[in-house]
Amino acid sequence: MLYVGPSFFGFLIGFILGTRIKEDERVRFPISAYIVIFIAAILMAWQLGPFPYYKDLPLASGFLAAFIGIIAGRIIRG
Amino acid sequence: MSTILKIFAFPASILIICLGISTILGGHITPGGGFQGGAIIAAGFIFCAIVYGFDKTPFKFTHRFMATLESIGAIGYITLGLLGIIFSGYFLYNIGVDLYNILPNISDIFNYPDAVHAGIIPYLNILIGLKVLVGLSAIVVTFLEFKGE
Repeated sequence: MLYVGPSFFGFLIGFILGTRIKEDERVRFPISAYIVIFIAAILMAWQLGPFPYYKDLPLASGFLAAFIGIIAGRIIRG
Repeated sequence: MSTILKIFAFPASILIICLGISTILGGHITPGGGFQGGAIIAAGFIFCAIVYGFDKTPFKFTHRFMATLESIGAIGYITLGLLGIIFSGYFLYNIGVDLYNILPNISDIFNYPDAVHAGIIPYLNILIGLKVLVGLSAIVVTFLEFKGE
């Protein structure tokens, strides 16, 4: 079972920071760049592993939730 | 800055910020915590601000945004401390765990939902992280906005 705490708060903090990403024409990254970052984030989360005593996922759920939150904030409010 | 840095900085700063958030969330169970995680997040922002310049950085930290986060961090921390006084008589008493069994049945409300049930400690880490993130970012924003006499 997924632990709610790190997943929710990771998403929340990531979302807050993601809303502040405002790319203009001088600094703009395409969708492909975000896909590459997503793959790198999954690899990082896998290498970090879960916190001690966390048995829900084999990767860092807070890290991944933070990344998803940043992307969601960038899409919704960025 | 060089083109290589401009291509690299923004993706790297996103990953740095994720690492900072992960550090904050594991503060009650692993090395690190609110201050360290907040400093890592601020490092991600500062990395972008220095490489792209403050005017062109993709992370737009406005004064209002920083003031809001700082206020949430401070007020939230004090609120949790005062709740400890109200329910137990001790400032910052861990009302999510209630080790001394002196509270009415409110522990479940303030208990952080994870594997180790650390009570309010993760919430304090999160609030401290917000404060440190804003504090360190504000210093750099002040320096970058300085135009000289």
